[in-house]
Amino acid sequence: MPTKITFITQDGSKVVVEDAIGTLMEVATEHDVEGIDGDCGGVCSCSTCHVKVKREWLDKVGVADEIEQDMLDLEDETDERSRLCCQIEVVEEFDGLIVEVAPLS
Amino acid sequence: MSNCPYHDPFKSAREQKPVLATEFDGDPVAMILGFKEVRKAARDYTTFSSDAPFRVPIPREEDVRSMRQYPIEVDPPAHTEYRKIVEPFFRQPTQPEYIERMENLLEELILDALERDSIEIVREFAIPLQSRALTYLLNVPESEADLWTTWGTHVFRDESGKSKGAEMETYTNSLFDRAEANPGDDFFSALVQARYQGRPLTREEMQGCANLAFAGGRDTIINTVSTVMAYIAEHPEALDALRENPKLVMTATEELIRYTSPVTHLGRMCPMDTDVHGVKVDAGKLISLNWASANFDPTMFEEPETVRLDRKPNPHIAFGNGAHNCLGAPHARLIVRTLLKKLCQHTNGMTLLSAQRKVEKEADYERANAYHELKVQLISK
Ligand code: HEM
Ligand code: FES
Repeated sequence: MPTKITFITQDGSKVVVEDAIGTLMEVATEHDVEGIDGDCGGVCSCSTCHVKVKREWLDKVGVADEIEQDMLDLEDETDERSRLCCQIEVVEEFDGLIVEVAPLS
Repeated sequence: MSNCPYHDPFKSAREQKPVLATEFDGDPVAMILGFKEVRKAARDYTTFSSDAPFRVPIPREEDVRSMRQYPIEVDPPAHTEYRKIVEPFFRQPTQPEYIERMENLLEELILDALERDSIEIVREFAIPLQSRALTYLLNVPESEADLWTTWGTHVFRDESGKSKGAEMETYTNSLFDRAEANPGDDFFSALVQARYQGRPLTREEMQGCANLAFAGGRDTIINTVSTVMAYIAEHPEALDALRENPKLVMTATEELIRYTSPVTHLGRMCPMDTDVHGVKVDAGKLISLNWASANFDPTMFEEPETVRLDRKPNPHIAFGNGAHNCLGAPHARLIVRTLLKKLCQHTNGMTLLSAQRKVEKEADYERANAYHELKVQLISK
């Protein structure tokens, strides 16, 4: 079943991907989502893949593990919705998921 | 087999204080050493400004160039607009065609090296690799690299440290003349056609962008490549680990870049009298952001002097941090990843024949950074 994901960028525009596969970072970079660079290729080194998950999706998407949290702790503009989206593997249950691209700090 | 553990020259200073009062060019420099402190200062461009032509690099560079470099020597908000002009070129390395070209290049260089009894990595491998790869980034014919290959590790200085910056400026100036007469889709043509605040760039601004593209991407890549090669020569088991788990290439790349930290430090100017963790800096004087020291701070990196190819997370700041973080990072990362991949594919490592380290000798420290010369023999599979 195709999984639809929506990214909301800093300027408020939407990028809708109808058939997302891979990690959210891979999906975002393949679709040129402004503000998601994924420089380190997804190994928790660059923090250029910071998103905020829409509140109603938090339970399904889950929270950062310890490694990811250590990276997030270094960023200025984080809150409880923050995730490094290279650590989020898209699964079918995410159909309809909305994430906001975090400001570049 | 020599294990050559990296010697962190800032260790004892950093253990005492996060900042070292030192001097360069006869002027005081407050050198920030701690990871958290460097990272924070890098993001605070109001207190620590890059609006300081010739003085972001330390030692200062008036003797080797005549113009300010863009976008590195300007602060936001102007910085943001200059950076946007060149950014599309620096983003290319994630495109499949670009990755394929890089794979072909490394394949050719490694197969060629395998044919020889010995190869001097700096001159015969890293410099041609850096030069030819840069033609992909700047979107110019690969033959342009024939000239660049004849330059030394530093584009501005010959081996004795003498300036040859004027030659380089004459060369880039001729590239802009050519682009103006006959614009194509290369980096120089893009600058000729770019607009800043609604007006075209001045020739000086164009030159400042070109100058940085050549200088910023030169010794950094060359020093990283030689350090990675020396590491592999001394750790043949690394290639086995990478072959067993190809995903390791990504974390290994980050770790080897952390370990190399080819840019030791960069300067910022304090517009106001500033207290930097207890060191007083007068208005107009410099601090430095010591990326190399930060990357060996044990409060952030467990066993920092050990290379752990699977280190994760690895929040190293070898590429800087904040607004100026390295535009060339995707290109640099691709070079290291592809190098590791192709070494795995075609070699069983290499034998180290001779090595001459390069040492930065400064007032308060000596730091070994890469190699003057590194002779190896590649071992075929
Ligand atoms: C391993 C290789 C490299 C390392 C470690 C490195 C390191 C750095 C660092 C630390 C900065 C931050 C400057 C600051 O904060 O003042 C920087 C900026 C920059 N680097 Fe690199 N660099 C590398 C490769 C490259 C390459 C290959 C290029 C281009 C061909 C390049 C072009 C630039 C540019 C244009 C900037 C300025 C960005 C800005 O001011 O917004 N670098 N680099
Ligand atoms: S892509 Fe680098 S931390 Fe996510």
